[in-house]
Order: sequence, then structure tokens, then C-alpha cells
Amino acid sequence: MPSPRFPIPQGTLDMLILQIVSLAPAHGYAIAQRLEQISKSVVQVNQGSLYPALHRLEQKGWISAEWKESETGREAKFYSLTRAGRKQLAVEKDSWARLTSAVKLIFNEGQ
Amino acid sequence: MRQLLNWFRRRDLERGLDRELQYHLERRIADLMREGVPEGEARRRAVLEIGGVTQVREEVRDVWLTRWLRDFLYDLRFSARGFLQSPSFTAIAVLSLALGIGATAAIYSLVDQVILHALPVREPERLALIDWEGDPVATAFGSWNLMSYPICRDLQQQDRFFEGVFCRAATLLNLSTGGDTEPAAAEIVSGTYFPVLGVGAALGRVIGIEDDRPPISSAVVVISYDFWKTRFGGDPDIIGRKLFVNRNPMTIVGVAAAGFRGIDVGEVPVLWIPTSASSLALPGFSDLLDRRKRWTQVLGRLRPGVSTAQAQAGVQPWFRAMLEEDTRRPGFPPVTAERRRRYFASILQVTPASQGHSPLRRQWSQPLWVLLAGTGVLLGLACLNVAGLFLARGSARVREISTRLALGASPSRIGRQLLADSVLLAVTGGLLGVGLAPLALQALIAFLPSDTVANALKAGIDSRLLGFGFLLSVCAGLLSGLAPALHAGRKSLIDSLRERGGGAFGGVRLRKIIVALQIAFSLILVIGAVLFVRSLTTLLDKGPGFNTTNLISFGLDPRRNGYSTPQASRLMHRIYDELRTSPAIAASSMLRNQLLIGGSWKNHMTVDAGERVATVRVVHMNAVTPGFFDLMGIRMVAGRDFNDRDASPIGENTDRVAIVNQAFVRRYLAGRNPLGARICSGAGPDAKPNIEIVGVVANFSYHDMREESEQAYFPIFDSHDSGSSFYVRARGTSEQVLQSIRAIVRKADPSLPITYFRTVNEQVSRSLNSERLLATISTAFGVFAVVLSLVGLYGVIAYVVTQRTRELGIRIALGATRGSTIWLVLRDAVAMIAAGAAIALPAAAALGRLVESQLFGVKASDPITLGEATLLLVSAALVAALIPAWRASSVNPTDALRLE
Repeated sequence: MPSPRFPIPQGTLDMLILQIVSLAPAHGYAIAQRLEQISKSVVQVNQGSLYPALHRLEQKGWISAEWKESETGREAKFYSLTRAGRKQLAVEKDSWARLTSAVKLIFNEGQ
Repeated sequence: MRQLLNWFRRRDLERGLDRELQYHLERRIADLMREGVPEGEARRRAVLEIGGVTQVREEVRDVWLTRWLRDFLYDLRFSARGFLQSPSFTAIAVLSLALGIGATAAIYSLVDQVILHALPVREPERLALIDWEGDPVATAFGSWNLMSYPICRDLQQQDRFFEGVFCRAATLLNLSTGGDTEPAAAEIVSGTYFPVLGVGAALGRVIGIEDDRPPISSAVVVISYDFWKTRFGGDPDIIGRKLFVNRNPMTIVGVAAAGFRGIDVGEVPVLWIPTSASSLALPGFSDLLDRRKRWTQVLGRLRPGVSTAQAQAGVQPWFRAMLEEDTRRPGFPPVTAERRRRYFASILQVTPASQGHSPLRRQWSQPLWVLLAGTGVLLGLACLNVAGLFLARGSARVREISTRLALGASPSRIGRQLLADSVLLAVTGGLLGVGLAPLALQALIAFLPSDTVANALKAGIDSRLLGFGFLLSVCAGLLSGLAPALHAGRKSLIDSLRERGGGAFGGVRLRKIIVALQIAFSLILVIGAVLFVRSLTTLLDKGPGFNTTNLISFGLDPRRNGYSTPQASRLMHRIYDELRTSPAIAASSMLRNQLLIGGSWKNHMTVDAGERVATVRVVHMNAVTPGFFDLMGIRMVAGRDFNDRDASPIGENTDRVAIVNQAFVRRYLAGRNPLGARICSGAGPDAKPNIEIVGVVANFSYHDMREESEQAYFPIFDSHDSGSSFYVRARGTSEQVLQSIRAIVRKADPSLPITYFRTVNEQVSRSLNSERLLATISTAFGVFAVVLSLVGLYGVIAYVVTQRTRELGIRIALGATRGSTIWLVLRDAVAMIAAGAAIALPAAAALGRLVESQLFGVKASDPITLGEATLLLVSAALVAALIPAWRASSVNPTDALRLE
């Protein structure tokens, strides 16, 4: 039985969205699918928090949106990373790395 | 900011989100169906996964616009719609708030400009006025707080406390820029004036320390920025041009910085002249270095960290030493021991002067504060009015509010909506009020004196006014909305749905309290109005004491045109003779000083009627031509008028004469024959009373309309004395008289300007400017206040009647008389009126003490006035309450019962 999925905190969701969008522009459904794929069903993304997160990131100017024809032929809203978003992503990756190494240090200490 | 933009784009945003979610769901459903899930199940699962479409929509909406902002904007839209649906309510509420806020904003702007506003100079809070408190043993001319020029120079050495000290004097002079000569306002300033104030030049240079010592031939002036723009069209080549000050050529060396208008808000100079050229600006003045001549104000800039108290204490030792030294200098007059004692007891006072120095401020401070207080009361009334209106409206919305409560709205949410209501109303009223405030300001400024000299008061909307108005509106809105909001939150659904029965007593009680307060406020304003109107009418009835019909006054000042004193005297006498030939003039007279301008030639005198007595207070003096008293219709009580022999020069006739008024006789010559007693100007030990009193006239107003002062009059001598004012009894219209006078003056000297020309009635009116202002404004306030309160009273009584229709119908059916029914309804009104009066009368008595100084002929706690005002208001209120009461008594019982 796979271990129960743990919910992802809001700040991290924003970072993951930026990462996914940095590879290629994607619409909301594709982002949701990608998140599922990448995390191999380990991380549970509440889809209800996906769209508020996307709009929040758009409002902050880190991603921009455009209505384009999707793979099914219907029109969908594609999000892509802006220059400010790219910078933000770098910043977030950096602080995430520092956080995880700090936590690892603490755990190592404990042992 | 972006969020507010989102509010306007919300329809597009919503549509976009719908499409997005639609797409997402369709893709998920398609994928699920591909995995083999049946459509219905797929659809259900997809919706579940996303967490509920409505939920997602709400969360995204929160991103676009934060919750409270969105609620607030919804509230505003809802309020606006509601207001548009009840136009009469909205109109009354907006108008009363506009009135209250507009009046307060206008008067506050005036108070700010005249009293509070600091000078537009560098660090005005460090400026201080230095004044002599005590007996300076010196002669003076000018306005207030006068010091001598040498003391200003001495103070400049006190650099431990003062970074710099300057002196200035305001004056009128004849200015010619190449064409006509006209009177203009100027400031005579020391070289330190501009540097200490920190005001620079827009062009050229300003007057500096180097100008304190040059020879007179290089007399320089600095003109004001406004004068440069209006008179010279902003000519860039202005530096070096000459203009003529009292016929003396002077060179323009600079234009002062824009926005600097001197240090007196009531008098804006067009140019500044250095003190070294003071003899050119003030004809006949050669006392620049005389320590016993006071004519300038001295101001200084305190060193950083030094307070006025410290500076005052710090200069006292030097000042006392100076007092001592001055008595030993030549020029110190012999004085009585008493006066000497007072002289040595003088101190030098240092007071903050960030607003500069202004006689206008001195005169108008009190009336303006009184007006501001009055507007505060009016604004309070307007807020109460609106609160009452809201409560009335609220009781009509009871059902709606209770239903919303039942549907899950929190009381605070309802309260916020009601508050948004009142804030929206208040801001609309505030905008309207602030928009109308400049008009009110213009009307107010018209009351303030402005002769040839403009004042620096502006009637425009500036950011301060706008900010103040906005703040006031929001406070007014919160105040008026608070009671209804708090009240509404407490309602329960059951109570309100149960509309029958006694009705919403809680709401009505609050409304009654509001009406009682309104009546109290109105009574205070009405009492104020009656007091001020009575003061004004008493003054007008008393009159100036002389006949003002067809009486016109005009002035000339030939010495400012370069005439020496004897030359000026000959010119004036020639003009005086010419006036008699004019067909438009019936009679004329010349005076040295104009009447009723709030200023006069005054000094102590010594009276000798057997024993020498010095006068207790100053005597107001003037010099007049023979026939003056007859011309003015002033009764000669004893003795005779001046004749031509009295006016002959001193050499021929050494017996000088004078005429005094009844007040003088009553105070100093009571019980003795005044004719033959001798007086003289001055009260020192060396004064020789050698002027014989030959006549006594009835009292009349000389300095201002209120005074009852002792006066003494001398004849104008033919050869070396001249007046500056003429009083003529006109035979034609004012225009004809003006033409005639212009022709006569032009014939005598074409370049001599007429310094002023007006009817004496107008002068009387001007001298009562502050009384007229208070009377007019307070009456207007009183009327508005009464109207607002009566509207409130009528509303409450009418409401109560509608609530009690059934009960009254039953009573009438059971046999109640019309009278008793009316009384039943009126009882409420009487209770409110009585409560209002009970609050107002003691308050008025307490506040009355503050306005005592503005009144004349009536005391603030005068019972007749209080009675009149109360009667006025009470009768009006009873009439207002009687209308619904009468209607109640005419209720048809069957109709009333059928209303169920």
C-alpha cells in the first residue's frame, strides 16, 4: 500500500508551478497532470488550490497568460514564465536548497 | 491599486475563469472516460477532485480582490442604488451635510490663513517677535509692537540667542512706474530682513546688509514677484530700471522669490525699501537713529535649541543695562518719578511669531474663532439630522435587515453596510460642500478690510482644504451612521417581523434624543444670532454721532509727492478753497486725520483748571478747519467753534485754542467751567498747558463706533499745517462729486493721486465689518439650524403618529376630544423641546462668556435675549409639531381600525 500522500504547502506549490511552467508554457490541466506525474503520486496536489495559485502568480507578474489552441483543438489558457518569474524561481530554488541542507544538518546533528 | 482595476474588469475575469475551469473539467472527464469510467461518474469525480467549482471561483475572486475590499465596493453600489431610489431623503441628507461641511471648511480655511498658517519662509517656527512691555518713554507711529531702529541694531549683536534680527515697517507711498502715480503698499526693512527670513530672489538680488549703509543717491528697491508679473509682465530686463517712490527715483535691484508676500497676511507689499532710504519713503522722517521714536516691528530668528523663554531671560540683563544707559543719553525727555519707575520696570518680551506680524490677525482672531465654534455646532447639527434620517429610514428597512441576519450575515457585516451608507452620503455631501466652500470664502473675505492694500487671503480650493473636508466628511459619516448601525445590529428577526404592536420603540427613543439635541444646538445658535444682531443694531442705532447723509470723504497726501510741509499746507488750503466753488459740493471741511479708521492721533494731556492734572488715559486728538462741527451736524454744547483768527499762524497770534468733547469735560473738568481752562499735549513735568478751551462739543465717534473717549480738537493752521482728509456734503451724486474733485485736484497738481474716496456711510459700515460678519453669519446659521431641527421634529412626530394611528383611532372612537388627542401627540414634542432648552440654556450661558468681547450694549447672559430666542424657537417647534398632531386628531376611527 503506497504511503499516504502528504499535502503540499502553498509556498511550495507556487514554486513547483513556476518550475513546470519554466520548461514550457502549459495550461492549468497540463500543470495538474505534470505535478501528478513528477511527484509520482507521492505528493497530493489539491486541484482546488491550483487555480487560485495560478491567478495569484499571474497577479504578481511572475507568470503571464495567453489563450491559445491546445492539443485537443479547443482553446485553453496557457501560462508562461516571465522574466521576473524566472528571477523569482531562482531565488526560491536557492532558499529551498538552503532550507533542506539546514534541515539535513540538524537531523545529522541529532544522530 | 491593481485590485481596484480588477473590480472594473470583473465581468471579463469571471468569464475567463469559467472558460478555464470548463476546459479543465472537460479534459478530466474525457481522460476518465478513456479509462473506462462512465460519463456521469466521471463528471462527479472531476468536480469532486477540483474541490467544488463555486469554492474555486470564490478563492480566485479573493485573489482578484481581497474580501473586505470587495464587500466594501458591493456595499457602496448597494448604498448608491438605495439612495437613488429615495431622492428626497438623499437630497435632504446630502444638502445638510454639504452645508455643515462646506461652512466648516470655508471658515477653517479662513482661520488657517489668518491665524494659524506659518509664513512660507525657512523654518518659520524659529521666528520670534521682540517687543517692549512697559513704558517706553517714546513717541510712536504705526500699528502695534513698535520699537525704535537703534534697538533693532543693538539686538542684532545678541547672537548668543538670535541667529539674526531684523526690523520692518509697513507703509503707504506714492508709486510711479513711468505713468500715473498711485498709492502702493511697501515695507521698509533692515538689511537683515531677507537673509534672516531665508527668502531669496527670483531675479537679481534681495536687500542685504550692504544696503544698510549706502548714500541715499543709490536708493534701491526690491519688487514683489506678483507685482513684477502683473505690472511689468515678467520683463526679464527689469533689473536696473527706475521707478519713483514719493517722486524720488529708485533703482530696482531684484524681484523677491515667488510666493513671498511679506510677513503680514493682511497687507501685501509691492516693494521693499531698505531702512537707509526711510526718509524717502516716509516724508519728513529723519529719526532713523532716534532711540525715542518707535515705528518698526522687530523680529528675530532664534538659535536652534533656544526657546523664546530662554531668549527672553537671556536678553533681560542687557536690556536693563540699556534702559539705564538711555536715560543718560541726550534726547531722553524729563519725566515724572512715577513714569520713570514704570520705565525701569519695562521688560523685553520675546514671543513666537511663526505666522509673522499682522494687525489683521489681531483684529479678527476672536470673531473667527467664534465663527468656527458656530460652524462646529452647525456641523454637529447636520450630522444629527442625517443620523435621525437614517434611523427613520432604518426602521423602514427593518425587515430587510432581519432577513439578512437570518440568512447568515453577521451583525458586523450589516453594521458595515450601514456605515458604508453614511460614509458614501457624507463623502458626497463633503465633495459638494468643499466645492461650494470657495464661494462662501469669497463672501467672507469680502468682509475683511482691503483698501488700496490687498491682503494675501485666497478663496480657492487647495489640497489642505480638500484634505480637511475629506477628513471631516468621513468623521461626519461615521458619527451619523454609528447610532443606526449599532442599533440595527441588535435587532432580532422575530421582533422585527412582528411589525404590529407598539412599534420599534428603541429606534424612536433614539430619534427623540436626537431631535432634543438638535433643538438644543439650534437654540444655542439662535441665541448667538440674536446677541450679535442686537449688538449690531445697537451700534447702528447709536450711530457715529454725526449726520452722514450725502457725506463723502476723500484723502490726499502731498508730502508723499515730494512737497515740504509748508508747500503741502499751501496746496491743501488751495484745494480746500476750490472745493467751495464746486457746484456738486454744498459744504466742505478739512481734517488732519480721517474718522472711523480704527486709528487716531492720541496722547496724554495735561489739564490746568486751577490745578494741574495729567489725563488718566490717552486723549484722541485731531485738527479741523472752522465750520467742521457745523458741517457734520455735531452740536456745540458750550462756547464757540474755531474762527479764521484761530487758524492764523503762531507768529501772529500766540493764543492757541482747542475744543474738547463732553466726555473730556465730564472726566477732567466736572463741576468747573470748561471754557477758559488750559490744556496741552504731553504729560511730562515740563508740559506747559497753554492752549485755551473755547468750546465743548457733543460726543461723537472718532476712533471707532464703540468708543466713548475723551477728545480734543485744534484748528488747522493756515501756513504750516495740513490735513489729509476732506469731508464734503454732496449736492449731486457721488459720481459728480468725484469728477468735480478730480478736476480740482488735477488743476492743483496733475500727478497727485487721491488716496481714498468713499461715502461716510460706507466708512461706518466698514468700521463695523466684524460685527456685520458675525451678525450675518450667525443669523444664517441660526436659520439653517432651526430649519434642520424642525424637519427632524416634524419627522419624528409624524412617524410616531403613524405608529399610533390604531391606538388614536380607538381613543377617538371611545370619545376622546380633539383637544386631548392633540395634547397626547404634542406631549412628546413638548418633552423634546423642553429637554433641548434645558441643555441649551446653561450651555449658552457658559459659552456666552467667551463671546462677551464681541458684543455691544447687551450682555451674553441677557435674559431678554435668551427669552426672545427661546420663545422664537419654541413657537416654531410647536407649529411644526402641531401639523401631524392636528392630522392625528382628524383621524377617522373606522379608517384607523381598518388599517390592520
